Amino acid sequence: MSAPALLLVRDAAFGYGRRAVVSGVNLRVEPGQFLGIVGPNGAGKTTLFRGLLGLIPPLEGRVERGTRAIGYVPQRESLDALYPVTVEEVVQMGAFAKLHGLRRLPRDERARAVVCLERVGLAERRAAPFSTLSGGQRQRVLIARALMVEPELLLLDEPTTGVDRAAQAHILELLGELNASQRLAVLLVSHQISMVRQTVQRVLWVADGHVTEGLAAQMLAPENLDRLYSATGRPHAEEDA
Amino acid sequence: MDELEVISWGERVSLFRFALLAALLAGAVCPLLGVFLHVRRTSFYGIALPQFATAGVVFGFVVLPWWLENVGLGALDFAGAMHDSHAAMNYHLAWSNVFTFGGLLALLALGRRGGSEVGRVAASFAIASAATLLFGRMSPVGKGFVDELLSGELLGVGVHEFETLAVVFGLAAGALLLYQRDLLLVSYDRESALVLGKRVFALEALLTAVTGLVISVGTMVLGPIVLFGLIVLPAIGARVWARSMRGYLRLASAFGVAAVLLGVAASFELDLPLGAAITGAAALLLVPGGLLRRG
Repeated sequence: MSAPALLLVRDAAFGYGRRAVVSGVNLRVEPGQFLGIVGPNGAGKTTLFRGLLGLIPPLEGRVERGTRAIGYVPQRESLDALYPVTVEEVVQMGAFAKLHGLRRLPRDERARAVVCLERVGLAERRAAPFSTLSGGQRQRVLIARALMVEPELLLLDEPTTGVDRAAQAHILELLGELNASQRLAVLLVSHQISMVRQTVQRVLWVADGHVTEGLAAQMLAPENLDRLYSATGRPHAEEDA
Repeated sequence: MDELEVISWGERVSLFRFALLAALLAGAVCPLLGVFLHVRRTSFYGIALPQFATAGVVFGFVVLPWWLENVGLGALDFAGAMHDSHAAMNYHLAWSNVFTFGGLLALLALGRRGGSEVGRVAASFAIASAATLLFGRMSPVGKGFVDELLSGELLGVGVHEFETLAVVFGLAAGALLLYQRDLLLVSYDRESALVLGKRVFALEALLTAVTGLVISVGTMVLGPIVLFGLIVLPAIGARVWARSMRGYLRLASAFGVAAVLLGVAASFELDLPLGAAITGAAALLLVPGGLLRRG
């Protein structure tokens, strides 16, 4: 008997207004899975990701969430450097859902923020302004913030885009360790095919408004990529930068 | 010799106590709103909306004769309405609110269509400024009132105006401080706020309501120059020094109060219009941060 699903999508379509960008989506995410959403630019990866997060409602079909403990890691470029927030303040935002009014963040939550920062290897930078960190460090801080909700499912939007190879390896190692040690289900969206191939177990290939699911090692094997890209009539240009 | 030159500082403070208290309150509260407008990159709202509020006040003068005849303002006639501080202020405050919230909602609605936000705000500032002058032309009484507002002379603030300002600004400060964490999260990372289950629409509506109320009441009591000076300048000045969001709010408020104290001193010593002196002092507080950033 399979484990209860953390996320179950049945015959769903996602889009904007009345226009479906991706349709016929079926997906079941269980504890401990590591999935990637990949596909050509403009194929609907972000739309699918936003639909899975609950930021846009399905135009048809159903999305069922088996847990409320969902950690979300946005693209770090979406966070404005004009805000004078410290690393610790960013991580503590993960606990804001439990707080109301002027009540101070409880001591145990503040301690947990430090533990989450230790987990990503940045506890010593907790008083630093968030905007002064490198791209890879900022990404790890956002992962620490997502860990504050004690997630069962972690969703990441392009977590390794725009960071150097060493930082990329550090982030992937961290995600792999969280996935293995806590049976944390991880779902990330990326356009970096080789990174996804080496990291995730299963992949959702998004192209021309449709989603195909399969094993990452098979679907993203170099000999299959030619077929996948030629089927969508798109060039190979977005293989890793 | 100017009459003011022969009265002491203590006597001036006593004489103009409501104006000074109103300015100090604005110095403490307006920068709190300014911080959120600044980090959300909507500081221009702090300049354009007071102009809408001013247009609303003058429009109130234009329609006052018709209003008295068809709707009524208590039992007041035109002369009575001009001299009754309670009824007249409440009447103009209502028009100030209508124009401020009208302008704010129009800007937000147009913003959903995309395009240049700076362009929209600049255009709305031009339109509201022209409307103010045109309404002033249609009502000589309104023009005189607006001239006084625009000159930044706020020493005439009376007890009823101060009470109104205190209630509205007190509520605004309370809302901003009570919800500062949620407003920070919603402003900084809207999508994460949604995923965390925050009531994003309600929080954004709260910020819109606070912005509209502070600006409409502040413009009516203090005038647009003081108001946009205290909303925009302390928030910009304090940002250079702030190392956390909590510290930023405190520092901006302290900058605002310091600007008021400096402005009052300059106004009394150099016989300058109080409102313009406060805004000038707030501008001076930008200098150290500007030099630091350059260095």
